Amino acid sequence: MRKLLHMIAAGAILLTSTALLADDTVGDSPIAIVVHKDLPIENLSLEELRSIFLADRQFWENRTRITLLVRAPQSDERTFVLERIYQMSEARFRQYWIAKMFRAEVPRGPKIVLSTGMTLDLVVAIPGSISFTRADTVTDDVKVIRVDGLLPSDEGYPLK
Amino acid sequence: MNKAIRHRLLVLAFTVSTVTVVHADEHSAEIASSYNDERPEFVAMGFGDVSYLSKDGSDTDGFAIGQVVAHLSASMGQSFSVFGEFTLTARESGHTTSVERLIVKYDFSDRYKLSAGRYHTPIGYWNSGFHHGAWLQTTVSRPEMVKFGSKIVPIHFVGALMEGLIPSGKLGLDYRIGFGNGRHSNIAAAGDAGDINSDKAWMVQVNAKPTRIYGLNLGLGFYNDEVPLLNGSDVKENTVSAYAAWTKEDPELIFEYLHSEHELLNDSSVSGDVDAWYAQFAYRLPGKHKQWKPYARIERTRVNNTDPLLGAEMLDYDGSIVGMRWDFNSYAALKAEFRNEEFDNAGRENNFRLQVSFALAKL
Repeated sequence: MRKLLHMIAAGAILLTSTALLADDTVGDSPIAIVVHKDLPIENLSLEELRSIFLADRQFWENRTRITLLVRAPQSDERTFVLERIYQMSEARFRQYWIAKMFRAEVPRGPKIVLSTGMTLDLVVAIPGSISFTRADTVTDDVKVIRVDGLLPSDEGYPLK
Repeated sequence: MNKAIRHRLLVLAFTVSTVTVVHADEHSAEIASSYNDERPEFVAMGFGDVSYLSKDGSDTDGFAIGQVVAHLSASMGQSFSVFGEFTLTARESGHTTSVERLIVKYDFSDRYKLSAGRYHTPIGYWNSGFHHGAWLQTTVSRPEMVKFGSKIVPIHFVGALMEGLIPSGKLGLDYRIGFGNGRHSNIAAAGDAGDINSDKAWMVQVNAKPTRIYGLNLGLGFYNDEVPLLNGSDVKENTVSAYAAWTKEDPELIFEYLHSEHELLNDSSVSGDVDAWYAQFAYRLPGKHKQWKPYARIERTRVNNTDPLLGAEMLDYDGSIVGMRWDFNSYAALKAEFRNEEFDNAGRENNFRLQVSFALAKL
């Protein structure tokens, strides 16, 4: 019995560690921009995407409020997005959002998500949500949008 | 390691990993449930600073506590939100409290956002960009023309504001149209408890953030008011402002210009102009020195002696500053600044300021 308990505990730790480690690696997979499936949007230019991520644009065309989901610090996806979309350091990113809230331009900062699974679950659950994840983790429950007319699998995709 | 200890460690590790997953699920459920929930979702932040000031020929050099600032915002549902900014300011005889901003806002869409309350008047860049937290601005203090208590710019206004994006493609235009109480009989103050005349102040500002030049902000604004003087006459005030700002930190550039015309309403021969500007340059050092940001600013304000509103206030000013900001923590900075200033031909003075400023925010 004791041996069985040891094996279950060890297995659980191994699975959790593997999942956490896998979550923190972008690897060769491009970053996909994912939105709620019901949103009538298929494509955004990189500039439009940036204005959404900066909360300069806060509503979709159908007047649904945009909910931005951003991975917690230390994740490779976040580092990639800060570098390629925001073009900011981690410190500058924090200062940007604090200033944005302080100027009363947004009532709150982006929603912080802790894992790929949580990102996808919340994109499914929240109408108007947008987030980013490794393209190889995307499920059929969310919609991947084109960036500058290209999908993550296409040559020249800007978030590779 | 004996078997019993190993067993306990494994059980502990399993429990910790399970708790982490449960915590993530709760966090996830909280975010999902907040979407259409109209109960207030609060965000609280605080700012503060402590300075040391040394002046040429002064025997009162010493420490000063800057404003202690509390910022509270609450969103209720997807469109309605409330913002408040409250300060505690050290005075010679204690502290004063103030409601600096209180804004009730309804967002219809990106193009139409309507709000009412007490604002920092959307004139130029700095006044509506940095507010009361010293940590947010690169320098120790605000430019003289927009310092708190300035008579050059009406820092606060009480009224209503419509703002939003203008469909303009890559130009990235937005607008602000404000209408409200103008200056109070104390012209450095806003009419918080009601206007002192029937003529309302109004303002328009158009800003551009061209999407192709990420980091560039441009703006042009106009402000109009009629200000009653203590002698019973009224002064018409028209102000034009313009700015250009490069908001990335390598480099950071801000240039702002303001021109005001003041004219007695019952005697148009009595009039005067105000010209004020500043230019600020800063540069975040690269690589392992990225916590350091040297900066410099030059400023100038000129007021005609014939100006019926400000001519007698002795507001001419020339200033230049150089300094260094050290962001030793993500939420705190130490700034050292040398200033050379001249107030209305009263002779030049040098002073040195050292300030530690911080933000209390969770992000």
